[in-house]
Amino acid sequence: MTRPLRTAAVFFVPVVAWACYLFLLLPSVIVFPISFGTGGEFEFPPRAFSLELYRQFFTDAAWWGAMTQSLMIALMTALATTVLGLPAAYALQRASLPGAGLINGFIMGPLLVPVIVLGLGLYLQFAPWNLLNRDVSLFLSHTMLAVPFMMISVGASLRHLDPTLENAALIMGASKPAIFFKVVLPQLKAGIAAGALFAFLISFDEVIVAYFVTGPETQTLPVKMYSAMRWELSPVIAAASTLVTVFSILLAIGIMMLQRKEKQQ
Amino acid sequence: MNAQMKPPVAPSASSPLDKEPALAHLAEPSTPNAAASDAMIEVRGLSKLYNGVAALSDVTLSVGKGEFVTLLGPSGSGKSTLLNLISGMTTPTAGKILINGTDATTLPTNQRGLGMVFQNYALMPHMTVFQNIAFPLQVRKIGKDEIRQRVMDVLKLIQLEHVADRRPRELSGGQQQRISLARCIVYNPPLILMDEPLGALDKKLREGMQLEIKRLHADLGVTMLYVTHDQDEALTMSDRIVLMRGGKIEQQGTPEALYFKPQTVFSADFIGSSNLFPGKLSKDKGGLMLRCAAGAFDVPAADGAFVAGSAAVLLVRPENIMVETPADASGRQQIAATLKDTVVLGGIVRHFLETPAGEQIIAQELNQPNRARLMRGDAVKVSWRVDDGRLLPAERA
Repeated sequence: MTRPLRTAAVFFVPVVAWACYLFLLLPSVIVFPISFGTGGEFEFPPRAFSLELYRQFFTDAAWWGAMTQSLMIALMTALATTVLGLPAAYALQRASLPGAGLINGFIMGPLLVPVIVLGLGLYLQFAPWNLLNRDVSLFLSHTMLAVPFMMISVGASLRHLDPTLENAALIMGASKPAIFFKVVLPQLKAGIAAGALFAFLISFDEVIVAYFVTGPETQTLPVKMYSAMRWELSPVIAAASTLVTVFSILLAIGIMMLQRKEKQQ
Repeated sequence: MNAQMKPPVAPSASSPLDKEPALAHLAEPSTPNAAASDAMIEVRGLSKLYNGVAALSDVTLSVGKGEFVTLLGPSGSGKSTLLNLISGMTTPTAGKILINGTDATTLPTNQRGLGMVFQNYALMPHMTVFQNIAFPLQVRKIGKDEIRQRVMDVLKLIQLEHVADRRPRELSGGQQQRISLARCIVYNPPLILMDEPLGALDKKLREGMQLEIKRLHADLGVTMLYVTHDQDEALTMSDRIVLMRGGKIEQQGTPEALYFKPQTVFSADFIGSSNLFPGKLSKDKGGLMLRCAAGAFDVPAADGAFVAGSAAVLLVRPENIMVETPADASGRQQIAATLKDTVVLGGIVRHFLETPAGEQIIAQELNQPNRARLMRGDAVKVSWRVDDGRLLPAERA
C-alpha cells in the first residue's frame, strides 16, 4: 500500500466501522427512550419520561402472561436441551458409533433449514395430532431448534477435554457412569451452562415457529409483540422490547463470561 | 529378526563377562518361559492389526512378579500398542493376555486392577491433589477415614504433604508426575504401567525421577512395565529391557546383555552408540577375518552362523576404541584415520574420526586434563582389542 492510501485507510476504516455499528445498533437502542415515554402513542424523543408503559406491561395480563409463558417455555427448552444434547454430544465425540457423521448431521439439521419452512412443517405435523395451541408443541419445536447449539457448545468443551483423563479413571477402576459424572461432567460445567443459556435465549427470542404453533392461550412474548405491532400498534411494545433486549444482553454477557472462564482453565 | 538368526553368543574364554561369576546372569536374557505362578504378565502370540496393518505381530512375553521391565523402541515399534493391550484400552486381534494368572484378554479395563502413569500426568484438573489421590480409593468404596489416612501416607512417601489442597496446575511438572505416581500406588495395584512418564520433564528432573521410581519399585515390590524410547532411561532403570522393532520383539535381556551382547545391528545401533563395519568374512590362518572398506580386521571367535564368504557387521563400541598418534604404534590392529572433531562431555571426551575410505568412527575416552589434546586434522591410528569387537549378522534389506 502506498503512503497516502494507508493514511486514508487509517482514517476511513474506523469511520466506516462505526457507521456500521450505529446502523446495527440504532434500531435496538431507539426503543429505549421511547419505552420511557408517557404512554398513549410512540414518541421520539419523548416529551416527558415515565414508567407508564412498564406499568401497563406488568398489569395487562395479555403482556404479562405472554412474558411468563415465554420464560416457562424457555426454561423447559433449556432443561430438555441439556438432558438431550449433553449425552448426544458426548456419545458422538467419544464412542466410535457407526454413522456418527450422519447422526450429527441429522441433529444439526434444523440449523440448515429456513425457520419459516420448519414452522410450516411443524404446523402441518402438529395440526392432525391436535397439538396446536398447546405448550407441548411449542416446547418440542424449540427444543429441536436449540439442541444444535447445546451440541456445539458442549462439543467445543469436549474437544478441550483430554481423553487420557477418562482412560486414567477407567484404569483406576471407575465405572463408566462414575467417569461421566465425576470426571467428564465437572469439566464441562461451563460449556453446559453456556449451551443452556443459548437454548434459553433461542426459545425466548423465537417468533416464527412460535407464530405457527401457538394460539391465543399459548402466545409467547415475541408472538404477542408481533401481533401487537400488526393489530394494535400499542406503545407498550417499546417497553416489552426494552425488557427483552436487556434480558437478552444479560444472558449473552453470561454466556461470554462462561466461555472466558472455560478458556482460562 | 527371528529364530534362525540365533545370537552369535561368543563362547570365547577371553570375554570379560565370562570371567566374572557375579556378572554371569547378564550373559543371557532371563527365560521368557517362567512358570505361570511367577508371572505377573503372560502375553502369548499377541497381535494387533489396525486396518490390516500390523502394529503388533505375534508377540510372546512374560514379566515376572516384582520385575521392572522396559519396553524400548522407536515410535511405531509397537511398544505403546502392547501397553494399551495389557491395560485393555484396545483389544487384540489375536493372542492371549494373562495378568496375575487369570485370563484378561477380554476383561474390561476397569476390572483389571492395574495402575498406570501417563506422560501428561492425567491428573483431574477440577480436583485438588488430595481429591485426585483419593479418587481410586473412592471408586473402591473405601471409608472416609481410611482414605484420608492412606492419601496422607502416600503424600508423605513422596514428600508432597504440603500441596494436598492445591490444584494440579499450580504444581511443577515434576511435582505433578509424583502426584500421579502417588495416585497409582495408593491403591496398591500389583502391576503399574508407565507410558513415557518422564517424557515431558527436563533432563535434570528426569534423572531425579528415575531414581525415585526405582526406589518406589524396590520399596513396594510392585511389578512395573515401563515404556520409553529413551535408551538411557531403559538402561538406568530396568531389570530387563524388551527392545521392540516393527511390532516384534527384537531382543530382550538385562541392560548389560543388550549393551554388551546385542544380537542384531538394530540392537547395537539403538542401544548405546556404536561403530559398525559392514563387510564380508573370509578365512584367515586360524580364524575369520572381516574385509570392509576400512581394511581387513581379525574378528572375535564366533559360532557356526558366521562362515567364510558370508556378509557380517563388526561392532566396536566407542569406549573400546583407542586413538593414538602413529608414534604409539603397538601390536594391536590399527587403521589410519583423521580426527574430524572432538567433543568434551564433562568427564568424557568423544572423538569423531574418518578413515581414508570415508567411514565415520566414534571413539570415546575419559577426559584426562593433563594429557596433550589431539588437534583437529591430526593423522591418528585407531585400534581396539579384537575381543572387544562383536560380530553381528548383516541386516537384510
